[in-house]
Amino acid sequence: MAGGAHHHPQPRQYVSIAIVLAVLTAAEVALFYLEDGVDAIGQSLTVPALLILSALKFYLVVAMFMHLRFEKRLLSRFFTSGAILACGLYLITLAALGAVVLF
Amino acid sequence: MADLSHGSADAPAHHQLTGIDNRKLGMWVFLSSEFLFFGALINNYLLFKGRDFGPGTLYPVELYDIPFTSISSFVLLMSSLTMVLAHSALARGDQDQTKTWLFATALLGTIFVSGQFFEFGEFILHGLKLNINPAASAFYMLTGFHGLHVVLGVLMLLVLAFKSMRTGGLSEAEGLNVELVGLYWHFVDIIWIVIFVLVYLIQ
Repeated sequence: MAGGAHHHPQPRQYVSIAIVLAVLTAAEVALFYLEDGVDAIGQSLTVPALLILSALKFYLVVAMFMHLRFEKRLLSRFFTSGAILACGLYLITLAALGAVVLF
Repeated sequence: MADLSHGSADAPAHHQLTGIDNRKLGMWVFLSSEFLFFGALINNYLLFKGRDFGPGTLYPVELYDIPFTSISSFVLLMSSLTMVLAHSALARGDQDQTKTWLFATALLGTIFVSGQFFEFGEFILHGLKLNINPAASAFYMLTGFHGLHVVLGVLMLLVLAFKSMRTGGLSEAEGLNVELVGLYWHFVDIIWIVIFVLVYLIQ
């Protein structure tokens, strides 16, 4: 954790982050159950909302618990390049096989 | 928090051409490659989940127990908290808390895997066998491989925790091992964050 060891969160901050993660998970589950009770427009917003909540949780764990935010940039590059490569590759595959519509 | 990635004078020397311990760099590269591994399994499931495999067949989505899986997800999420608290305690030199949080993380991981075994058992009892259709196979492959990663993580945590118990504490060199196991553990958690939404909640 070179270059920023003293910036790491304290245990109390880790607990606060965990509470945020728990609230985001509860929001995801609530969205899942609310989907049936809303109109078509509301339903069309559920999937993007779930993806955004999941991305937020993903970011919080990687940045704060894995300390990527405090690490050298090289590690972030390795990690994000793997994630972007995987997302890009599989989105193209899913689109090519007709499972998702990109455009 | 102390930096556990740089060994002390009596710790084994590791090349740091990049300014980062090679073992730590290797772990990050490994985790990066794991995106492709789990990406392929998630992709496989998404391809098959919406397909029609004929009348009378059973699909995983028909058997999901969302409240149960939500609790499992919460347990795994909280295990990431206990893991980071173990790492933080070790950086402060608090060996007792390190041991406690390592055991707590292993316990939460075991609860998660037990939940997954229970879920698989319920699904099989309802007739969702591994080879009933490609959607079921893809589901078991994805969640099964994730569960296997959790089991490996629990074993690594237990090795560290018992070593800490036996020797009365982890050395600075072993501190990096806690950090590496922690990175692996958090990665398993973020993969579940994705699986929970893409497989269970977006139906």
